[in-house]
Formats: sequence, C-alpha cells, structure tokens
Amino acid sequence: MTDLDSLIEGRGRSIATQGAAPTVAAVLAGLAVLILVTGMLDTGLSVYAMNLIGQAATFGLLAIALDLIWGFGGILSLGHGLYFAIGGYLIAMHMVKVAFQVTGTPPDFMLFMGWTDLPFYYAFMENFFYVALVIVLFTGVVAFVFGLISFRSKVTGVYFAIITQALVYVAMLLFFRNDTGFGGNNGMTGFVELLGASLSDRNTVAVLCAISILVVALALFGLNMLVRSRFGHMLVAIRDDEARLRFLGYETIWVKMLAWCLSGVLAAIAGALYVPQVGIINPRVLSPELSVEIAVWVAIGGRGTLVGAFLGAIVITALKFLLTAYVPELWPFILSALVVAVVVFLPNGFYDLFEVLRRGARRFKGAKTVEAGE
Amino acid sequence: MKIHSHHFSCMSRGHASYLTRLFVTLTIGLVPLSGNAGAPEPVPGYERAAVVSALCSGKTKQMTAGINDILTAVSNKAEDSGWAATIISALGHKKLRCSKKTGLALLESGDAYQDPSTLSAVTLDGKAPPAPFVNLRVRANLDVADSLLSLIRDPVGDGAEAAVVVLEKQFDNVHVPLLTLALARITDPDLKARLQVVKALKSLRAPDMDERLAAIAAVAENPTERNRTALVTLRQDAAYVAEDPRLAKALDSAISEIDTWIQVGHVGSVLFSGLSYASILFMASLGLAVIFGLMGVINLAQGEFIMIGSYTTYLVQEFLRHAAPGLLDWYLLIAIPFAFIATALVGMVVEATVIRHLYRRPLMTLLATWAISLFLINLVRVAFGTQNLEFIVPSFLEGGTRVTADFFITWSRLFAIVFSGAVLVLSWLLLNKTRLGLYIRAVTENRDMAGCVGVSARRVDLVSFGIGSGLAGLAGLVLTPIYNVNPNMGTNFIVDSFMVVVLGGVGNLAGTVISALGIGQINIFIEPLYGAVAAKIIVLLMIIVFIQFRPEGIFAVKGRK
Repeated sequence: MTDLDSLIEGRGRSIATQGAAPTVAAVLAGLAVLILVTGMLDTGLSVYAMNLIGQAATFGLLAIALDLIWGFGGILSLGHGLYFAIGGYLIAMHMVKVAFQVTGTPPDFMLFMGWTDLPFYYAFMENFFYVALVIVLFTGVVAFVFGLISFRSKVTGVYFAIITQALVYVAMLLFFRNDTGFGGNNGMTGFVELLGASLSDRNTVAVLCAISILVVALALFGLNMLVRSRFGHMLVAIRDDEARLRFLGYETIWVKMLAWCLSGVLAAIAGALYVPQVGIINPRVLSPELSVEIAVWVAIGGRGTLVGAFLGAIVITALKFLLTAYVPELWPFILSALVVAVVVFLPNGFYDLFEVLRRGARRFKGAKTVEAGE
Repeated sequence: MKIHSHHFSCMSRGHASYLTRLFVTLTIGLVPLSGNAGAPEPVPGYERAAVVSALCSGKTKQMTAGINDILTAVSNKAEDSGWAATIISALGHKKLRCSKKTGLALLESGDAYQDPSTLSAVTLDGKAPPAPFVNLRVRANLDVADSLLSLIRDPVGDGAEAAVVVLEKQFDNVHVPLLTLALARITDPDLKARLQVVKALKSLRAPDMDERLAAIAAVAENPTERNRTALVTLRQDAAYVAEDPRLAKALDSAISEIDTWIQVGHVGSVLFSGLSYASILFMASLGLAVIFGLMGVINLAQGEFIMIGSYTTYLVQEFLRHAAPGLLDWYLLIAIPFAFIATALVGMVVEATVIRHLYRRPLMTLLATWAISLFLINLVRVAFGTQNLEFIVPSFLEGGTRVTADFFITWSRLFAIVFSGAVLVLSWLLLNKTRLGLYIRAVTENRDMAGCVGVSARRVDLVSFGIGSGLAGLAGLVLTPIYNVNPNMGTNFIVDSFMVVVLGGVGNLAGTVISALGIGQINIFIEPLYGAVAAKIIVLLMIIVFIQFRPEGIFAVKGRK
C-alpha cells in the first residue's frame, strides 16, 4: 500500500484526503428531503421546476459516472449515451408493457407496423423489479463484453474513445429503424403511470425528482469513498502509468473492468430516472453529440473531482436551457467557445479556478497543484 | 421526291372505309419482312389519301395499319420521308383534324390549314373538325414511327440517341425494313450496335428459324435485364418453343449467358461504387491518419474540413458564374487549389490556436476538435442555410459508359477514383521523396529523437496538419458531383474515416489505402443486401474483432515510443 501510494505521489493529481463530495452529497440529500416534503405539502416549487431539477440531477449522475472512468481511470468514453439509452429504453419498455396489459392494445408505433402483440423481449417487463434487475444486469453485461474486448487487447486512449463513439453511432442507426420494436425514429412516448402512480401527478413528480437527487447524493458519497479506497488508488495509478503498474505485478484489467461496468450501470440508472420525468425516449439520446456533451460537462466541471463533474453537468444544462430559450442560434457558438477556452486555458475545468483561488489564499504555505494527467 | 400527289379531300364515309379495308388487305400480304430497301418499287394500292383516311378512322387496327403502310412506302422509297414525318407527327400532336361526317381531313399548320395529302393550303369555313383519338397502342406505334423517320432523315443529329432509346423500349413495334434502312444510314458505331440489338429483338419472332436463332444469339450478346426478360418470355411461350426443337436449346444457353454477364455486371458495379466511396474515404482519412501518427490527435472536425472543401468549391462555382461564365464548366478543376488551400489554412489556424496547446493531452483534443466542428457546422448553417447546395455537373463529367449489363461507369465517380489515385501518388512522393516527408516520418517514429537531430517538430506538426486538412478539403471537392452537400455532411463520413484509421494504423499510406478500400467495399457490398445500418454494424464488429489481433492496425509502424 505504501509502495503504491509513493508511486502515485508526484504523478498527476493525488487524491485529496478531504474532498467536497461528502458535503455536497449531504446538501443534496437535504435538498431532496426538502423537495419531497414541500412537494407533498403542495407548497414550494412548481411541478415544472421540480421536473427540470429532476432531469438535471440525472444528467449530474451521468457526468459522475463518466468522471469515474475518465477522471480517475483515464479512460475516455465518447459513447456513454449508449448506457444512458439502455436504462431509458428499458424503463420505457416497462411502462409500455404495463399500458399494454391495462388497455390491451399495443402502442401506436407497433400498430403502424401491423403488430397486435408486443415482441418476445417484452416478456415479464410488467414486473418493475425484473426491469430494475435487467437494467443493472444487461447494462453490466454490455459494458463487461465491450470492456473485456477492448481492455484485453490494450485498446486505450484516443482509440478507445473513437471506438465507443462508433458504437453509440451504430446503436443510433439501429434504433432509427422502425422494425426493432422500440418506436424507431419517433421513439416511445405517451407514458401514463409508473408503479401505479400517475406521472403527471404533483406527488409523483416530487418523488421522482427527490429520488433522482438522492441517487446522485448516494453516488457522490459512495464513489467518493470508492476512489479513496485501495481500489481508487489502483485506478488512479492505472491512469498515470499503467505499464509501470503492470510491470510491478498488478493485474490492471479487472480494476478497469470494475470501474467501467460500474460507470455503465450508473449511466443506465440515470437513463432510467430520466425517461419517466421527460416522458419520451428516442434514438437522439444515442447521437454522438450527446455522448460528447457528457464528456464536455466533465471537462468543464473538472475531471477527477466528482463534484466538479456534477456541477459541470448542472451548470451547462442550465445554461443550455436558458440560452436555447432566448438565443437558440447563439448556443452552439457559446458552447464551442466555452469548450475550447476551458480545454486550452483550464486543463482541469472550472475546478482549476477554485484551485487558483485556494492557491492564492494559501500562498504563504507554498502549496502547489500539479496539472492532472490524462 | 413526291411520286403520288392524288388528293381526295372530300370523300363519303362509306367510300373511305371501303378503300381502307381494301388496302389493309393488300398491304398485309405485301409487307416485306426481309429488308430489301434498295428497290424503289411503288407499292400497289398505296395512296396518301387512303392512308390519311385510315389514320383518321380513330380505330386502333386501321390506324396501326396506316402507320405501317406509310413506313413500308418510305422503306421502298415510294413515299417521301418528309411527308411521312409530317403526317405522323401531326397525328401525334393532334394537328390532324378529321371530320367523321364529311370525311374531311385537314392538317393544322400554325393558324392555317393544309390538305394532308398535298400539303397545299386549304381555306376552312367554320370550326375545324376534331383530332382522332390516339390510344396507347397507337401512341406506341406513332412514337416508334416518329423515331424511325427522324433517324432516317437525320442519322447523325442530336435527336438520334433519343430516337434509339425509344426504339429500344418499343422494339416489338419496330418496322423492320425501315429499321434496316436506318441501320444503313446511321454512322455512330455505338448507336448502330444498339439498333442492331433492336433489330435482333424484333427478329426473335421472324418466321425464318435460322433468322430467329441468329437473333437469339445476337440478343444474348447484349446482357441487359430487358433483353433477358424478352428471351425468358419467349422461353415460357410453349407455342413459340414448339415451332423448332433448336429454339429451346438456343434460348436456354442465351439466357444463361445473359445471366452470367448480368452477375459480372452486378459485381462490377458494386466494386466500382465501392471504389469511388473508398477513394473519398481515403482522402478524408489520410490526413486523419498522418496527424494521428504524428501527434496522437484525432481530429473530430475532419468531417467539417470535408464540408469546407465542398463549400469552397461552391463559392468558386458561384464566382465563375458571375465573373467568367465561359469558365464555369471547368469550375471543378479550377477549384482544386482553392479547396486545398482554404481548408489547409483553416486547419493550420486550428492547429496553431488550439491543438498546439493540447499536445500532451490527446483526449482533450477530442473535445476541442469536437467544439471546432460544432462551431464550423453552425457557422456554415448561419452563412449558407441548411439546404443542399446546387452544383452544376460539368459537361466532361456528365453521363458515363455502359461496360456490361447494368454496370455503368459514371464519369463523376471515375473522376473521384482517378483524382484520389493522383492524390495517393503525390502523397507517396511527398512522404518518401521530400525532406518534409522525411521529417514527418522521423517525428512520427520518435518525436524526441527527431527534435534532438534538429527537426522542428512543431513546424512539422503545423505543416502536416495543414496538408491533412487540405486533403479533406479535396475529398470535399470530388464528392460534390456524387453526394449531398449541406452543413451536416461531415458527420456521415467521420465515423467511417475513424474506422479507416483504426484499421489501417497510423503514419503509412499502404495501411490507409487498404483499409479505405476494405471499408468502402464492405459498406457498398453489404448495403444492398442487409441495409446501410447492417453495413455499419458489420464493419464496426469486424474492426473490434480485428483489433483483438492487431491493435496497431494492419501495418504497424515499428517505432520506439
């Protein structure tokens, strides 16, 4: 352990002993309780606002999931939209199946195909716990297979990133087809209820929003513990010099695999929380643009910080929401300028700004930070 | 060459139908099926007035026979082809007016009227009679007659090819003696060959068995779907096959011969379009591969550099349209330096302002170049709009040539292939025969060591990035006649280009060429079988499997990193 720690020291950003993550997680948990209580008591935020906050929270979770493998493991995925979409489509299938059992007619997109019954893979989908299990297991298996193939042949860095992007692109093309049973181009929409609760009901919205925030808080807290454990140190060591670690006799592939699969499952959970709140899922969540945007959140917020990634997602989503409402044609220019500026001048995102400020405050102690490696 | 100039401008109805019936009986026996067009013998019973009244009848059988009579007379040099063309065209364009009551026939010519037989002016009191109804069957005969006459009258003119196309479609209605005459007059070897096929198709039902067998053999030499259908129809016609035992055998071998050639043509056309896609892919990914080998940077904006090349080409076209319309036809060639330089400049600016700072953080360059691509797409969208640009197809790239069956080589695709071949040769020379190429290879193999012996790696980076971007611009130029050009076009190419780089490895031409060819061909080959989505999935799966065995690509450059 001491050997490993000394190995990590001096290369890249060492993991701070005291992070902001527990504090932020606690604040978020408090916020979740507040929203739950005010939501139930019919005071506080509007349904619309709670819905937006809930969606933003799922994006935050998505960003944290990517930060685990990119910020700590040094593995950039430009295809995390794939896992997000798997979670989203699976929960949508659950809601479609329940609606089918109640009404007896398949959704419109299947009627257009001339189908009178749901395809076989909708079997047991009416059972929420089965679906929850499938979300975790299926995503885990997909991530496991892809991770094993890539990591076993030592595909890393830019190669890995563009292959993940190609994968999500191909998945998008596949889901654009109408004969897959997932609604094709238009996707699936018109969801009415989840677990017997009406999705338009104020209480349901409040609960979904609170659960989303709670899950993010849990993920922040849990992952913060994880990256501080021996496993986390291994992960950071892999990021900084995998060849050296291997030379020292460590089996790196299973550390990467675990982080990769965990990240995929978290992204899928984010998708499963997102879809009931936004009320639609279509192949556009599989577009390479969305997947790159996830990486942009993390890059802007700061890699390897968890809290930074979360804040990056929230800030960029909020900015996008506001700016596309007022100056829609300007948003792409602002986003691209922001990305280039952050990438060139703030290698660790806006987290660097805090670092700069903190450095100013502790100037006398001569504390210095080192730019993180990839 | 007017021989007959009788005119029966007024005739009783009964008289006309009697005459018509008379000459129908006469001519049916007389239509010569062998093509002796030489002898100028007058056709007994042929009279213009009688023919005109047949055309006026409005009955399919009589009108068809009338048209046939005119053509027979023309082929026997017993009728002026000019008059024949006039009357045929008049019938087709509803300029021939016939009164059923009085039997009066008139030829409308501008505001005036003529006698159809003599073409002498006629004054008309009152309303002109209606034009006879031309049904679809008669229309087909009219078109064929029109085309044949125009071929006879002007065998070298611009209308010749259009006429041949009509005859190819309507070979069943072709008048053989006149076709023989046209064959003798036409000079263009290509059109002549096509007319011979038309004649062979028509001769498939000739009464003489040897002529039929010869026709079958002649048709088999032209493997098209239409010819195959004609032969298969005959093969399935039990009565036809029963007429001679040799027919079935000849047809079977002819059909199998056509099948072979159609398959060859199909394979050829798949290979050809795969080759043209691969050549564009090659130009797009060569720059990507060189830059990746050099700096470890994947340029996600490469697709947008392709777009810049296309838009520069468009600007050159529009500039020439206004400034020098005479040169407009050559815009594609004139635009070559502009497309290259404009894209190269954009690339160099991107390198100098953004990429340079991310030298040790290749993953960040992915995000930075993604942002640049987002910026470029939206810039072009604001400046030009989202619609597809309209490009003129230069006259030297219009059309193509048929190799066999349905295998067409279109000049615009051939241009892309030849152009990328030239780019390949130039790139090879640049990389292997120039000092810059030496530097590029040196920095690719070992950046630090190259720096030690005095190579300015940063300058090599800049220039290579410029050249790589310029190549993408050239890809954008050659695809303008083939693909749609709009702000989002880059995204269609970028994933395939990545795959080329992953498969081909970095920093060497052979790998890029082979993997571009492979991916281009696989895409085009699988698309018609299982669809475009399946093609992309299969390519991706193959690459994922492939990198299990050769993670560095087909030809890994042996370097010390």
